[in-house]
Amino acid sequence: MPTTLTDTPSGAESLILDLHGKYLEEARPPEPFKGLNLASVRRFETLKFPHPKHDLFSFVNAKELAWTRFQLQRDSRIGKDIVRDHVYPGCEKSVLVVADGTFRPDLSDRSALPSQVKVSSLREAVADPAIARYLAETIESENDVFAAINGAFFSDGLYLEVEPAALVEAPALILYISSGSASHPTMTVPRVLAKVGRHSEVKIVVKYAGAGGNYFVNSTQDFILEENSKVLYTHIQADPFESWSFAKDRVHLNRYSRFHGVNVYSGCKLARRHHEVHLEDSGAELKLDGVSVLTGREQAHNLVRVHHEAPQCASAQHFKNIVNESSRSSFDGSVIVNKGAQLTNSDQLINNLMLSDDAHADSKPNLMIYADDVKCTHGSTVGQLDEEQLFYLNSRGLSQGMAKSLLTRSFAESILGEIQVPAVASDLRGILSKKLEADHA
Amino acid sequence: MLEIKDLHAGFEGTEIVKGISLTVNKGEIHAIMGPNGSGKSTLSKILAGHPSYEAMGGTVTFMGKDLLELSPDQRALEGIFLGFQYPVEVPGVNNAEFLRMAYNAKMARQGKEELDPLDFDDILDEKMKLVGMDPKYKDRSLNEGFSGGEKKKNEILQMAVLQPKLAILDETDSGLDIDALRVVANGVNKLVNQDNAIILITHYQRLLEYVKPHYVHVLSKGKIVKSGDKSLALDLEAQGYDWLTPIPK
Repeated sequence: MPTTLTDTPSGAESLILDLHGKYLEEARPPEPFKGLNLASVRRFETLKFPHPKHDLFSFVNAKELAWTRFQLQRDSRIGKDIVRDHVYPGCEKSVLVVADGTFRPDLSDRSALPSQVKVSSLREAVADPAIARYLAETIESENDVFAAINGAFFSDGLYLEVEPAALVEAPALILYISSGSASHPTMTVPRVLAKVGRHSEVKIVVKYAGAGGNYFVNSTQDFILEENSKVLYTHIQADPFESWSFAKDRVHLNRYSRFHGVNVYSGCKLARRHHEVHLEDSGAELKLDGVSVLTGREQAHNLVRVHHEAPQCASAQHFKNIVNESSRSSFDGSVIVNKGAQLTNSDQLINNLMLSDDAHADSKPNLMIYADDVKCTHGSTVGQLDEEQLFYLNSRGLSQGMAKSLLTRSFAESILGEIQVPAVASDLRGILSKKLEADHA
Repeated sequence: MLEIKDLHAGFEGTEIVKGISLTVNKGEIHAIMGPNGSGKSTLSKILAGHPSYEAMGGTVTFMGKDLLELSPDQRALEGIFLGFQYPVEVPGVNNAEFLRMAYNAKMARQGKEELDPLDFDDILDEKMKLVGMDPKYKDRSLNEGFSGGEKKKNEILQMAVLQPKLAILDETDSGLDIDALRVVANGVNKLVNQDNAIILITHYQRLLEYVKPHYVHVLSKGKIVKSGDKSLALDLEAQGYDWLTPIPK
């Protein structure tokens, strides 16, 4: 690593290219993965690491990450114990474990998932030409350099398919666990592809956690929703502080399909989520919510691009950030209403709660409208805890610390309350409370 | 119980309360009346410890302790309760959970066992019946979207749960229709006993038809200009506040 860093990480690409050469030699990915990896590394070379003014990275400084010399995780240390620690009550028999980027049937238990839910590795799934084609098209059109890095190194992943007209009761928990390494930083590239058939409904919970730190989990997740299907999605970022946690979620919504995502961030050294959503046919609905609770030097960044591509679709986003101490959050969201997407309904709201003078929250809500009969709103607020509310609670005997913690939790509650899996919501409430209490003690 | 001596207090450097002295004993109900801007609300806020208000002179002793030295939560735990003129809406904080936290803070202070939600629920049901409140308000966010009357009832409910030694009810009657007023007054009457005391702060006499004070004080321009029994309230109702001028020192 050079001792002085220039403002742009130009040149840092060579670290990834070196690693890629080694990867091809050692891992010898089979086709079609090798072809996809090569196509993706070419995308990477074109896209390059972001310069500070890059419009997908307005508030994210990826310089340190770009200059870190990663190794690929070879020896996974993930066992049943750590899996057990992270499984939510009610998900014990519907848990799919992706350990260091690889789907591990031996650590998973899918016995509560009905037979209409097909689970396999991506290696098996690519035998279907449609899936191989989807992956190739996605890689060719990738605009996010970190997702391109994922594409350059992946040679497996998890494939989930829900057959048409299936009502899946048990929430499918996808657990990403990274081993980390004390000796050198490691990178893993999990990839999940989920296809939900017509008239089906499924709850998917995704959790990112780590055994140790010092890792870069760089995942992509694609959701394809067919006509009139519904996905209730909860995404939990709970990596240890000494990690980089990046994800790109891509959602394709067909006619009358609905996707409701709740994204919860605990923050880490650098957490970033890129949500790319395409409302492709009329009547599709997106609801995307998020809450981050950050302390210390934690960071969590959201980039949202919602593409309204058909008439009569609706999208609503509500993100809340609680930033304390020297933490940092950002929200950069654009809603793009394409020509012809008439009668679009779109709302976007970001609320930031600042608990200290050193904390930092950036918001950039944005609308790009190319149709003339639409209803779109966007807004952003920044504030502190309300003095009158604090006094009210104090006047009933609650200490300043208790009152602050209660009000901060209540700020997060409107998002946590949207989570459709009660055990997950109550676990998250507990984690957030602990985080807030540690601070206000 | 409460002894206020020559209290001067105000808001952002402006003196609003200009020398009030008042003694409240156990078992007494005091009404403080006065026109708008006379300092009624400032007095209630300074007693409860609102951070935006400051004492500029004088002393306040409550149960032998210097009240002005205590933080708002300590005052509450000592037994002071302020019924707000405008109860604050706190979205996302569950009404029942909040009440239990407040109740348990008091229990912890008294070295008693804290209650779990189930046990507390029994107490809450009983108190809600007492103040005529629909149980559905347990699961709502604290005061959020409550009507004016329900907000005031919720204040009396909190008072019933916390059982303060001294309750200061700041314009609890304002904005209530006659039915709500009766319910609120009824709740207050059921909570009064020989061991506690109440200060009713009000602009109108009509609350005093339902809650009978032992003493009535008239506040004007930051001073108590007249004290008497409940007949004073009737005079005020008949003649308004204009006939009262501050007593020269």
